[in-house]
Amino acid sequence: MRRDVFQAIADPTRRKILNIVSHKALNLNSVAEQFKVSRPAISKHIKILTECGLIVVKQQGRERFCEAKLKKLNEVSDWVEQYRKFWDQKLDSLEIYLEKLQAKDKSSKKNKKHGRK
Amino acid sequence: MAESKDFITTRVLNAPRQLVWDAYSEEKHLLQWWGPAGVKMAKATLDFKSGGMFHYGMYAPDGSIMWGKLVFGEIVAPKKLVCTVSFSDENAGFSRHPLAPMWPLETLSVTTFEDMGAQTKVTVNWKAINCSEEEAALFDNSHDGMNYGMKGTFDQLNEYIKTLI
Repeated sequence: MRRDVFQAIADPTRRKILNIVSHKALNLNSVAEQFKVSRPAISKHIKILTECGLIVVKQQGRERFCEAKLKKLNEVSDWVEQYRKFWDQKLDSLEIYLEKLQAKDKSSKKNKKHGRK
Repeated sequence: MAESKDFITTRVLNAPRQLVWDAYSEEKHLLQWWGPAGVKMAKATLDFKSGGMFHYGMYAPDGSIMWGKLVFGEIVAPKKLVCTVSFSDENAGFSRHPLAPMWPLETLSVTTFEDMGAQTKVTVNWKAINCSEEEAALFDNSHDGMNYGMKGTFDQLNEYIKTLI
């Protein structure tokens, strides 16, 4: 199975887990309590999130705390940025091209006028 | 099949509407601006009609070719242009982005051209289409990715992508 940030947030439960632990590190029980699904199911999601690099589980005394590594999520916002930029970049390029095109038109018209004199 | 929320991009161009339309619809113009500055087009064919296609390949810095295609839907000259945008391959098939196989396959763009005399207002309204619920959720979720409390600091990935396009 693929283990990257896209895989990590493709599942709604995993997105919810991320949201919960993004505010503060929580132990596994506190995370599991907020879901109707079984604890083993939540553990499995947390394991996937760990493998995807989005969560780090830290042992503190007898408890294990989940801490979000949100920097990884920048990869996703960058992807969206990329899509958003698609048309922005095309329009930038079009803008420059139209400017050049019209500048050329003007100068060739000027030259024609000049030629007639 | 699901689709994402809409994204909107607007731009006022310093050119009359007919010229802007020509820049989209005529091959001699389109090839001049479609690729970013300095990027060589490997191949491009334009069949500008409803049901027609613009299929293109651009050289990446490593010499490989990135293929893309637009398939045209409704065309109302010189006011409105509907097209789907996707990554592609040499044979104009559909393709996932090589770096993000979970990413939606296709986006639908509706571009409108508003006559403002010497200027033209271009509005692009687009969204991911023909995707699974999961993909749409992924797209929407990252759309307002600020939910996670992280505003995009541009990292290496972004730099790398730039070199691919």
